[in-house]
Amino acid sequence: MKKKTISVLLAAAMVIGTFAGCGSAPAEQPAAPAEEAAPAEEEAAPAEEAAPAEEEAAPEEAAAPALEGTVKVAAFEGGYGADMWTEVCAAFEASHPGVTVELTVDKKIEDVITPGMKAGDYPDVIHCATGREAGLTETLTKEKGLLPLTDVMEMTVPGEDVKVKDKIVPGFLDTLATNPYGDGVTYYAPMFYGPCGLFYDAGLLEEKGWTLPTTWDEMWKLGETAKAEGISLFTYPTTGYFDAFMYALLSSAGGPAFFDECMTYGEGVWESEDARKVFDIVAKLAEYTEPTTVANANNESFTKNQQLILDDKAIFCPNGTWLPGEMADAPRGENFKWGFTAIPAVNAGGAGCSFCWFEQMWIPAAAENQDLAKEFVAYMYSDEAAAIFAGSNAIQPIVGIGESLEGDNKLFYSVYDTGATAVMGGFAATAPVEGTTMADALFETVNSIVSGDKTVDEWIAAVSEVSDKYRAAME
Amino acid sequence: MKNTKAKKAFIVTCVTPATLLFVIFMIIPTIKVFNMSLYKWGGFSNTKQFVGLQNFKLLMSDSNFFRSFQNTILLITLVTIVTMAFALVFAAILSREKIVGQDFFRIVFYIPNILSVVVISAIFSAIYDPNNGLLNSILSIFRGKDATPVLWMGDQKIVIYSLVIAMIWQAIGYYMVMYMASMASVPESLYESANLEGAGRIRQFFDITLPLIWTNIRTTLTFFVISSINLSFLFVKAMTNGGPDGATEVFLSYMYQQAYTNSSYGYGMAIGVLVFAFSFALSAVVNVATKREPLEF
Repeated sequence: MKKKTISVLLAAAMVIGTFAGCGSAPAEQPAAPAEEAAPAEEEAAPAEEAAPAEEEAAPEEAAAPALEGTVKVAAFEGGYGADMWTEVCAAFEASHPGVTVELTVDKKIEDVITPGMKAGDYPDVIHCATGREAGLTETLTKEKGLLPLTDVMEMTVPGEDVKVKDKIVPGFLDTLATNPYGDGVTYYAPMFYGPCGLFYDAGLLEEKGWTLPTTWDEMWKLGETAKAEGISLFTYPTTGYFDAFMYALLSSAGGPAFFDECMTYGEGVWESEDARKVFDIVAKLAEYTEPTTVANANNESFTKNQQLILDDKAIFCPNGTWLPGEMADAPRGENFKWGFTAIPAVNAGGAGCSFCWFEQMWIPAAAENQDLAKEFVAYMYSDEAAAIFAGSNAIQPIVGIGESLEGDNKLFYSVYDTGATAVMGGFAATAPVEGTTMADALFETVNSIVSGDKTVDEWIAAVSEVSDKYRAAME
Repeated sequence: MKNTKAKKAFIVTCVTPATLLFVIFMIIPTIKVFNMSLYKWGGFSNTKQFVGLQNFKLLMSDSNFFRSFQNTILLITLVTIVTMAFALVFAAILSREKIVGQDFFRIVFYIPNILSVVVISAIFSAIYDPNNGLLNSILSIFRGKDATPVLWMGDQKIVIYSLVIAMIWQAIGYYMVMYMASMASVPESLYESANLEGAGRIRQFFDITLPLIWTNIRTTLTFFVISSINLSFLFVKAMTNGGPDGATEVFLSYMYQQAYTNSSYGYGMAIGVLVFAFSFALSAVVNVATKREPLEF
């Protein structure tokens, strides 16, 4: 009898145990976001202390539309860190009484917000650039899940009397990177931008008495000279970095109209003579590429390729302005000095090009609190917010911001002042094409060109084929 | 009568929660995957477009998919055969022979299994490093210092085998311990009489050890084939991300890429369906091919 009671009790315990495991799951789920939000709020508290100074600048009428409630902001934590986001949100709250910002910042923001989004719980504002591996922004674009920002551009910046569109540097709102469908409607607000180009060790060039090449012919000459000394001309972190590099080359080879045709999958555009020039340059560059580059061109070891520049084993590396920060703790020679240059002109006498990369902020069409979301996006262009971002080296395309730059940033952002043309944009959004991407065909193949597994003709043929598929999907 | 009724009620009470959980978390999602594979859908919006078997049709002409399929099959066969062979031999040596430091070896072989795949991939990226890596440094003794380095992670013809080695290294210990456990239960008397009749060690291994642990080998083989499919994804994700230029793409990494980064969720699910069918068929084949009369001892 006793035994039976015990066994029944045990069985009951087991059943309850199983259900308990089942029951705690839904209870935990809502708790999770709250937990995540908690540290953000805690961090926001000290930031608020810093806010009062800026608070004075925010006039009372900013709160005039009497927007109230909670706005959920999800932001990608890039090389600039997360602190600037907590500060900006605190400043937004301070200038908008009655508004609470629920902030989520993460290095893998897609992984954090996607499960909620699939369940219908969308953040109101998302700061997440295109071209990231998870492709969240692209997916939402392809699915037509974005809110047009045309009226945001017409809004007055909170606390100021300028329209948002007038504060944004001209040109930034005319690209496929803000108007993804190519129909002139803005869906992405341009946020932190930076020029991409070739990084090198300026100290090495000085020491060897080499001059910085400004044409590709000079580049090949330098390649030969360096080869004799056992130094390679070129390396790259991963093939992903060829986007900015090839966009700049394409624009330099055929001009902005040709570049736009490439980005909108124009018929036969990849077989054209201008495109051929670009493919040939990359193929020739492949011959001068540091021999171990391909082996390290993956997410695990790409810093080893970047280290080649610091070790003077390779001269040039295509990258963005975050590189010096990323390699800040890496060992280097005594004479090492960061150098940065635009991509040399493809045609003789033409201007060098530098792709201008920028992160985007957008509002999902399914956002609950759209008015507040728009207000938040508009606020991003206020002097107050820009100052906070600039404090973390995150530079927005706001008119007049260039004057406040200092240090390395001055060197990077001055690339356009010294004659290089700015190239902006990216591939136009289309309906999804199964089994292939332009990035794979155009950039990932570089690994095969360097290792000699594919020829330029095969490369061009593959890119054309994929481009044709995307053109069909666009129509 | 009362007793059996109570017993039945008891069994039902005990089994229901597990069954419910199984249905909710296994059966329903699987059906969902099959269902999703018939749609063109990016993963977020409510605009799912029913396309029937179109995804499967596209799949049949997708050369990237076939390459990932080939890679997967290569990984499964090579890793399984080599791992099983090594695990069996090591287990036989460690359990039948008297070696100094037996326990030490047992632990050393098992350690890779405790490490996470990310740690293993970090270890192997250090081993495979073209300039300062362990492997190239050893090779340079024979090839001379100025020989061009072998690009273990960069040469498209080699890189998949580099993954194979990492996977084998990781798996041997676990299966070795499993085989050692079942070898320990083979009665010593069988070996003694074989000894008396003059059978050598190798003969004993093939005629006594192998047949008597055959049921164990069969089970582990099925486990192993399935886990290789899963593990290959983790290794590829952590070590090469499918590169260089898709040379190490396996079908789960390809499915992930399509479903989550190429906005083709439905297409990804179609790959999922094929992977599901393939794993199922493969386990069935392995099961049938290894069927033997169980030996009792």
